[in-house]
Amino acid sequence: MADLEKLYEQFKAAAEAVSAQVYRVKDLKEAGALLSTLAEEGGAKKIAAASSPMVDKCLENAALKAEVKTEDLRKHAEEACIGLSELDMAVAEIGSLQQDCTDLNKRLVSMLPHTHVALVKTESLVPTLADAIAKIDANKDHIPGYMAFITGPSRTADIERVLTIGVHGPAELKIIFVDNPGGVSHE
Amino acid sequence: MSNCKNMRAKIHSALNDQNLRGALGRFADAYLGARAKAYQGRDFEKLRQTIADRKGSSAQRMEELAQQFKKNAEARGAKVFIARTAEEAKKYILDVALANQVELVVKSKSMASEEIHLNHYLAEHGITAAETDLGEWIIQLAGQRPSHMVMPAIHMTRQEVSEYFSKETNQNLSDDIPLLVQVARQELREKFLKAGMGISGANAAVAETGTIVIVTNEGNARLTTTLPPVHVALVGMEKLVEKFTDVGAVLECLPRSATGQHLTSYVTMITGPTPSNLPDGTIGPKEMHIVLMDNGRTKMKEDPLFSQALQCIRCASCLNVCPIFALVGGHVYGSVYTGGIGTILTAFFNDFDDAGELQNLCLGCERCKEVCPGKIDIPKLILELRNRVTAKKGMPASQKFLLNTVLPNRKLFHSMLKIGSKTQKPFVSDNKIRHLPLFLAGLTEGRSLPALADQPFRDQLYRLSKPKQPKAKVGFFGGCLVDFVYPELGKAANKVLNNMNMEMVYPLEQACCGVPAGHLGATEAHRRMAKQNIEAFEKAGVDYIVTVCPTCTASLKKEFVELLKDDPAWAKRAEDFAAKVYDFIHFVAKQTDNGKQLGLKPLGKESVTYHDSCHMRRNLGIYEEPRKLISEAGLELKEMQWPDRCCGFGGSYSIRYPELSQPILEAKLDDISSTGADILCTACPGCMMQIGGGLDKRNSNIKTKHVVELLAERLPD
Repeated sequence: MADLEKLYEQFKAAAEAVSAQVYRVKDLKEAGALLSTLAEEGGAKKIAAASSPMVDKCLENAALKAEVKTEDLRKHAEEACIGLSELDMAVAEIGSLQQDCTDLNKRLVSMLPHTHVALVKTESLVPTLADAIAKIDANKDHIPGYMAFITGPSRTADIERVLTIGVHGPAELKIIFVDNPGGVSHE
Repeated sequence: MSNCKNMRAKIHSALNDQNLRGALGRFADAYLGARAKAYQGRDFEKLRQTIADRKGSSAQRMEELAQQFKKNAEARGAKVFIARTAEEAKKYILDVALANQVELVVKSKSMASEEIHLNHYLAEHGITAAETDLGEWIIQLAGQRPSHMVMPAIHMTRQEVSEYFSKETNQNLSDDIPLLVQVARQELREKFLKAGMGISGANAAVAETGTIVIVTNEGNARLTTTLPPVHVALVGMEKLVEKFTDVGAVLECLPRSATGQHLTSYVTMITGPTPSNLPDGTIGPKEMHIVLMDNGRTKMKEDPLFSQALQCIRCASCLNVCPIFALVGGHVYGSVYTGGIGTILTAFFNDFDDAGELQNLCLGCERCKEVCPGKIDIPKLILELRNRVTAKKGMPASQKFLLNTVLPNRKLFHSMLKIGSKTQKPFVSDNKIRHLPLFLAGLTEGRSLPALADQPFRDQLYRLSKPKQPKAKVGFFGGCLVDFVYPELGKAANKVLNNMNMEMVYPLEQACCGVPAGHLGATEAHRRMAKQNIEAFEKAGVDYIVTVCPTCTASLKKEFVELLKDDPAWAKRAEDFAAKVYDFIHFVAKQTDNGKQLGLKPLGKESVTYHDSCHMRRNLGIYEEPRKLISEAGLELKEMQWPDRCCGFGGSYSIRYPELSQPILEAKLDDISSTGADILCTACPGCMMQIGGGLDKRNSNIKTKHVVELLAERLPD
């Protein structure tokens, strides 16, 4: 666990350095409450969520004023202020998240809305990019159809080299680490 | 010739473009810091060796890996087409678009598509292709070409961008950058949602899994490969790697070298078609095509020297550190691929003759070689291009006479220079030529030239003292600049050697080191000079061979061996010769415990700033020794910013392109002046000539000295 603490601190520093916001909660109950607060603060009217065990449980525990959509997401994610999805791995050294996003919904909610809220298990932290690559490589015979590494929000420096956040993808990336996703099926 | 004039005109206009100069200059400075920071804690040499090994071996198996990739990607449901030519690639992509009744295509950044002018081709067939990378879109709206591989619109200002965006959206937009970015987001989002097809490139294609890997910051590649129901990836065959883990090293280096990031915002890995919103309203697997394009790549693979260029990961760090690129930007290169590596890629993928003109822009400072994550010897490849152009087009007769007749013959060179030195008299004062008449004026613009020595070093040898019982015989290679311009350096070296109880021997049959010939593409002349020099020093029977010019050292120690390695009668002789060669400063440091055993007597309290000559620092890897010797001589060392940035001399470069050489010199002079040092010290007579001339022209009080002079001044006679 001490190792995980170190990895989390490292991740947080690296991710914040690339303009992501990093939160940490005990369980999905707290995650639901945090999502409610974030939605409130952001004045979100619509949330597009890519269904997954953690996402479903988080939504169950949230008290949201915003409308939540989990289907027909090409339309709804485009209109939504927040996109919610579950990520698979977190790379401590560089503050990157990794996701099997063969599921179209996972891609749409992390691309189209203004804000991407990413749920990730604290235990899924790995030290380096090489570790993440090695993990994927171990199962390369069944490599997912679409995989992504996400490091901070969308950015560009194409006009006069001035860093500007939020060009094509989300302008905000809020990462919620869940220490104990207990009660969630791991099947 | 028309190309050449054209290029000159482009250089002229780029140099006069203040926006471009400002943007490129600021970026060049910021880049170095960002890159260094990003690589902190990383073993760059190890990483780039991995890339060179993995990409190098993959390139050699390109055809086999293409077939393996095709098999694996097709097993996952993609269609893979291997296109031999640009025409085949374009035709295939057009057919896919027509079969799907596509009217609008969204594109994420792909240099390969630029290479084959795909947008233009699609437009001719009634299909609109919208670039979605912000920089590429700006360039597309402006009807221009990218000026940089990673930052296509680096040459444009926010005001220009706002004008193009205003025109495109029929609005009157301000030049606020976040606002302009939002406008682009909205405009392009609409296109993403409407487009019938997405075209992407790829940064890697993994043969063993059939996966393509795309690296972006904006997220446009994710949208391009997700929203439209058809995806075509256009992938150059050099992107093929054998194993999935090979992607690791590329991902470690590409963002760090390109933009100083640890990782880009997005890395996308796609294996076969994935679910998409289809035109009939359902969700189902999309249509995915991968075009593996040859277009000159297999030809490059077959070339024993140029095949290493396939190790390029398109990070553009060679552009970012190039002093010439920082001055003129990418448009001068007149092609899709810009800068040093661009010159090489252009030769194989586009037009050999175009590249022939471009290689002249290289200053030979070797900075690109030092930072290249693919470990490509870019300067060497550029030189080889020059050789091939010369072989193809021949050399002017006057140049031939100079190289084949004058340079190897010291006596003739000498008497020609003597005639020349007489005619220079009217313009000489204080041993400096300050201005020359007519067409020669360019030579003395921004710098004075040193006057030729009244008496060359070889004619002053009889006056040199020798130790009585020397412990070693050291052969001194003068080189043209010491022999004819700076004989005092030879005398200083003799004094230092005497104090080391070593005898200087100067074989009179020695010739030029051959570099000027080699750099003009005259390999044969260079080889002849190698033999002449080896023979001369063999006859002298010396223990060591030294020179105070790092360019000569590099030629003697490395290039002679390379030039003669296939000649059974000479290969061994060249190696034995090379084993004895040292740069003088390195030699002294090594023999005297960094000067400690020389018994240097400090003189006054002067301060020194040291300029690392390109060849000394990067080719020979010597930079600690001269600094230690300077400290040992009791002088205060004040480091300038970027001490290893080129001074702009580059041998005959400063004569061929004074308009490029001079601004580089000016920047160097500014860095030197800012230190407040009393002496500019370097270990290269070429740099001395360039920088000393520049300081003189500015009426600066800073003295220019070679390290050997600082040492000799502090030794008893």
